Order: sequence, then structure tokens, then C-alpha cells
Amino acid sequence: MKGKVLSFIKYFLLIVMSILSIFPFVWMVLGMTNKTIDITAGKLMIGDQLTINFTNLFNNSLNFTGALRNSAVIAVITTVLALILSSMAGYGFEIFKSKTKDRIFNFLLLSMMVPFAALMIPLYRMFSQLNGTPLRSIGINSMFVVIVPSVCTAFLIFFFRQNIKSFPKELVEAARLDGLGELAIFFRVYLPSAKNTYAAAAIITFMNSWNNYLWPLVALQSPEKRTVPLILSAMGASYTPDYGMMMCGIVIATLPTAAIFFVMQKQFVQGMIGSVK
Amino acid sequence: MKRLKKILIVAGTSLLLVMLAACGGGSSASNDSSGSKKITIWAWDETFNIKAVEEAKKIYKEKDKDVKVEVVTMSQDDIVQKLNTSLASGNTDGLPNIVLIEDYRIQGYLTSYPDAFADLSNIVNEDDFSDYKFAVNKVGSKIYGVPFDSGVAGLFYRTDYLEQAGYTAKDLQNITWDQYIAIGKDVKNKTGHALLSINPSDLGLIRIMMQSAGEWYTAKDGETVTVSNNEALKEGMKVFAELINSGVATQVSDWDGGVNAVQSGDVASSPTGSWYSSTIMGAADQSGKWAIAPIPTLADNSKSIPASSIGGGGWYVIKGVGNTKLAKDFLKQTFATSSDLMDTLANKIGLISTLKSAASTDAYKAKSEFYGGQQVFKDLSEWSAEVPSVNYGLHTYAIESILTEYAQKIIDGADIDTVLKDAQTQIESSIAN
Repeated sequence: MKGKVLSFIKYFLLIVMSILSIFPFVWMVLGMTNKTIDITAGKLMIGDQLTINFTNLFNNSLNFTGALRNSAVIAVITTVLALILSSMAGYGFEIFKSKTKDRIFNFLLLSMMVPFAALMIPLYRMFSQLNGTPLRSIGINSMFVVIVPSVCTAFLIFFFRQNIKSFPKELVEAARLDGLGELAIFFRVYLPSAKNTYAAAAIITFMNSWNNYLWPLVALQSPEKRTVPLILSAMGASYTPDYGMMMCGIVIATLPTAAIFFVMQKQFVQGMIGSVK
Repeated sequence: MKRLKKILIVAGTSLLLVMLAACGGGSSASNDSSGSKKITIWAWDETFNIKAVEEAKKIYKEKDKDVKVEVVTMSQDDIVQKLNTSLASGNTDGLPNIVLIEDYRIQGYLTSYPDAFADLSNIVNEDDFSDYKFAVNKVGSKIYGVPFDSGVAGLFYRTDYLEQAGYTAKDLQNITWDQYIAIGKDVKNKTGHALLSINPSDLGLIRIMMQSAGEWYTAKDGETVTVSNNEALKEGMKVFAELINSGVATQVSDWDGGVNAVQSGDVASSPTGSWYSSTIMGAADQSGKWAIAPIPTLADNSKSIPASSIGGGGWYVIKGVGNTKLAKDFLKQTFATSSDLMDTLANKIGLISTLKSAASTDAYKAKSEFYGGQQVFKDLSEWSAEVPSVNYGLHTYAIESILTEYAQKIIDGADIDTVLKDAQTQIESSIAN
């Protein structure tokens, strides 16, 4: 009897929580099919405006398609580079012996405490000074100005290092004895065993990059370089925003992260708890 | 294993090269704007400001075909964020030639970055515009902005609801806020509708009331905080609390709640800026049921007149971007002088211009069907010319974000003088930082 009551309470709470977390998504999808006035009035039915909202979204001066392309290119390059660099760094910190490495690592972790708003103006200055040099292609208003600062984050390095802690060092030593070079050990011995870690890191990095708002906002100047969050923000800027159209945009903007998460869900969970296969 | 290393290095380097080349092409194309005849303009709101710029572009095209005008839509918050970062880091690369800035914010920019904006004294004639616009876009005798939309306040009301409550248009002319509340009680009793919607964390109404008496949160110098011992603010707060506590107002939690209250026919009136007209007209089924009266005055303040303003902005030219001359010429030919443009904009987006000559155009003489045949443009632009000049100073929004909490205390019944005194202390210490 007691068990039944307990499990009833458990499921009741779980159902309430799931409704709370799913409701905004349901509302977003329903909003896609309604007129602005119905959305603000709180209508919760499927409307008939879907095609009109879609046409509006792709037929205005804001170039939503271009923004999708920019966001995708930036997110993919960021994710690939971040995974390679941060995993190598994390691997190095854990596998190689050095007296100062923990001190450096602690220093690195400290950088996680600094809020981005404090770094923004110095960062902006730094990158804008590149604009006068041959390195202009990674200066302000280039795609790389958004990619470079998020390629090597303390969090990812920390994340990889934690996971490598459970990686059997004997494998590395055995490989060394067999005459494998260090890079080859990394790519051939470590990497294949850490797919889950990579999957989790990929999801986190991709999501952060896809949703990144503040830095792209200040660093990207030309309108044709804007990413999806910036375009969505510009859409909401009117005295009378077209919410139906915005909901369409938001649904489309949510799809990639949702898709990636669902595909890699299993690996993500295992990666987060740090298992090695 | 050396082979693997080599492959990696080659692959890595080529990836890098490809990427550098890929964006090298893009950025060089956008960086040479200073040499060509091209200007960039930033503004917010696709349905209003952006349309205005597009019309201005058409007019300028007739004067000079070779000039390319790029219009960028961004939210106002985004524009503020980008301006702040760029100006603070001293790098104007990528900023636009012309930018729309709200009246409440511009003094802060002009004071913090005195060299960033171009002097427009020689393209703007002060006599051509509503006087109050020049309280904010000048430093000393130099004019830095071309005044754009009027935020002139009006009392938008439903004639049908008011009639049911026993009031005619005459009864709403030149009333005080106290009378307005009294009318609200009748409306509530007889029709069941609230008089207006209020978002307690939006002090726009207080701003309207203060400016009608020529007062602000700060003194004329723009910096001295005048929150306590400010008669207009004090009375405004009293009215604000009374509107809520007497039950004539329905409370909403955000902007959209207010829009919805009007468009769904919940409320009988809306005291707000002229730019709200297009939102009200969004409810086409209410055509003929609206009218606009002058904004009410503060009963106990002899300086308070039935004309005030909320919002409104101006066009500014950023100096370090290049093509300053061209940008100035663009503004001169369009927003600074063209009454034809204002005529078009009145028809297309319902803009109440601050350009005085606009009043003689056809659009301003027309009667509006939606507003029951009232000459809306004529009335609003006449009131616009009357608006008392107020220097909005450097800290309007910073002060207001603090004052909002204190306003809640006043609504809850605390002693106004004490609360405003406390607010003054907190505001002074927060601004000093």
C-alpha cells in the first residue's frame, strides 16, 4: 500500500514537471499556425496560418535562409575544432607528467569564473586591431571572430580531462612499448574508446555555438553575416511583432539542436557519467 | 607513424588555408565601403522605422542614383549593445553611417562619447521642428541629430464605451488625471470595462505626466537626480497608484498584454504616444469607435499643460565611419527637410512628424475614418508643437529600473515622500558608480 502511494506521488510529480517543461514547446508549435493576435490572446488551438507565416518568414528583408547557413557553418566548424583541440589538451593534462601542469590547470579553471561580459570589450578591441593587418580574415566581422573564442574553453578541457581519468593508462604504456607515436596513441588508442565523451562534448559545443547571442551580436557587423539568434532578435524588435512568423523561425532554429540531441541521446548520457568502452 | 603525423599536418594546414581564404573574400568586400558611395543605416522595427528609411531611400535615389543605401534591421537593444561595445573600445569599424537613437538615450551617448557623432548644425534648422526635440539632441549650441518621430501623447478612447457611460467628446477635452479617474469609475460601473490597462513595472505614464509639467527624473543639467522634492513626479506617482488601487485599471504584465487589452476591446482608453495608433488600428473591427483627446493634466501643478510626449527618436551620424558628407546629405535631403516624405510616411505608417511643414501636406488635413472623422494628424501635430522641452539627461532608464521597485511600494500604500527620498538615495549611489 505504502509503495503504491509513493509511486503515485512520484509519477504525479514527474507528470507535472514534464507538462511544465513540454508546454512552452507545444505552445511554440501551435503558435506557428496562428495569427499574432491569437497568440497574444493565448489561443491554444491549431490555426490556419502556417503557410502564411512560413512565407512571411522566408520572404522578408532579414534573409533567414542566409542566417541558417551562417549559423550552421559556424556551429559545425566550432564543434569540430573545439572537439579536437580541447580533447587533445585534456588528454595532455592527464597523460603527460609535469610539475606545473596542475597549477596551469587551476589557472585555466579560474578563467571559467570570469563572466563573458567582462571579457567582451577587451576581446572586441583585440579582434578589431587585427582588421588593419593581414590577419583581417579573422578580425571583427569575419566568421572566425565568432569561432575562435569558443574553440578552446576551460569547461571542455576540464570535461575531457575528467573523462580521461577513467581511461586505463596501461593502454597508453602498452602502445608506447609497441612503438606507437604519441599522436598516434591519441588518435588510434584513446579516441576510439571515448566516443561517448565526444558525443556529449559535441552536443554541448554545438548547442552553445548555435544559441550564442551576445558575442556574434557585437562582433558581426554586416547584415549578411548575421546568425539565427540575431535575426530572431531583430524580428521581435517592432512595436507590433509578427509572433506567428517568429514562432516559425524559432521552431526551425530549435530543430537542429533537438535532432542532434535525440540522435546522440544515449551517448550523451553515458558521456556525462564518464564511461569508457 | 611519421606518415600519420605528416598527413595530419597537411590536412590541418590546408583546412586552415581554405577557411582563411573562404572568409578573406567576404570581409574584403565589405570593408571598402568608405571608398565607394555607400551608406549604412541601422534602425529597429520593420513595420515602422525601417519602412520610413525605405521611403527616404526612394526620395534620395531621385537626387543621386549612384549612392547605395544599406538598411539594417536590428532590435533597439541590439543597437544599444553594439554601439556601447564599439564606442567603448574606440573602434568604429563596422558601425553604420546613420543610426536611429531614442530620445531618452541620446544625451548619454553625446556626453560619454563627445567625438563619436557628427555635428549636424548646418543641415538642421531648429525653427523647422517641434521645439522639445532640441532639448535632447544638442550639446551646447551644436545640433547632433535630425529629429524624427513625435512621441506626442494623446488620450486614445473608445467613443462607444464612453457614450454608454454618459460622456461625450467634449467631456474629455482638457481634463485632469483626477477627472480621468472619476470618468473611469463611471465607465467601470456602467459598461463593466476597465478604463485602461497598466503594467505596474512600466512607468511610461509617469514620464508623460512629468513632461507635461516640464519636469524629469533629473534636473536641466541632465545629471542631478530630482526624484525627491519633485512635485510633478510625486503627483504622477499618486495618480499612478490611484489608477491601480481604484480599480479602474486592469493590470497586465507586459507590452503584449496591453496590446491585447486594446485590440480585444477590453479597455475604454489608452493614454499613450501617437505611435501607438497603428497598433490600435490593428483591430480593424473597431473602426469608427475610437477618438483621440489631448492628454490629461496634473490637477495640482500649474505648469502642467495638455501636451506631453513618450518615446520618439532621431537620426544621428557617426563620424569615424567615413562618408560623413554623404550621410549628412542623405539626411538633409530626406528627414531634415522633405515634407513630401512626411506626407508619404503619414499615409503609409501613420507617422506624426516633428517637421513643422508636414502640417501643410494633404495627409495631415485628412479625416480619419477609423477615428470617427477626426483630423488625427492635424490634432496630434498641433499638440506635438506644444510639448514642453525637457532634457532627458543621461540616466533615464537606469533611474527608472530602480524607481520601478519603489513605485510598487507607493502602490502598496507607503508614504510617498519617504519612498521617493529613499529612492533618491539609492539612485544617487548607483549612478555615482
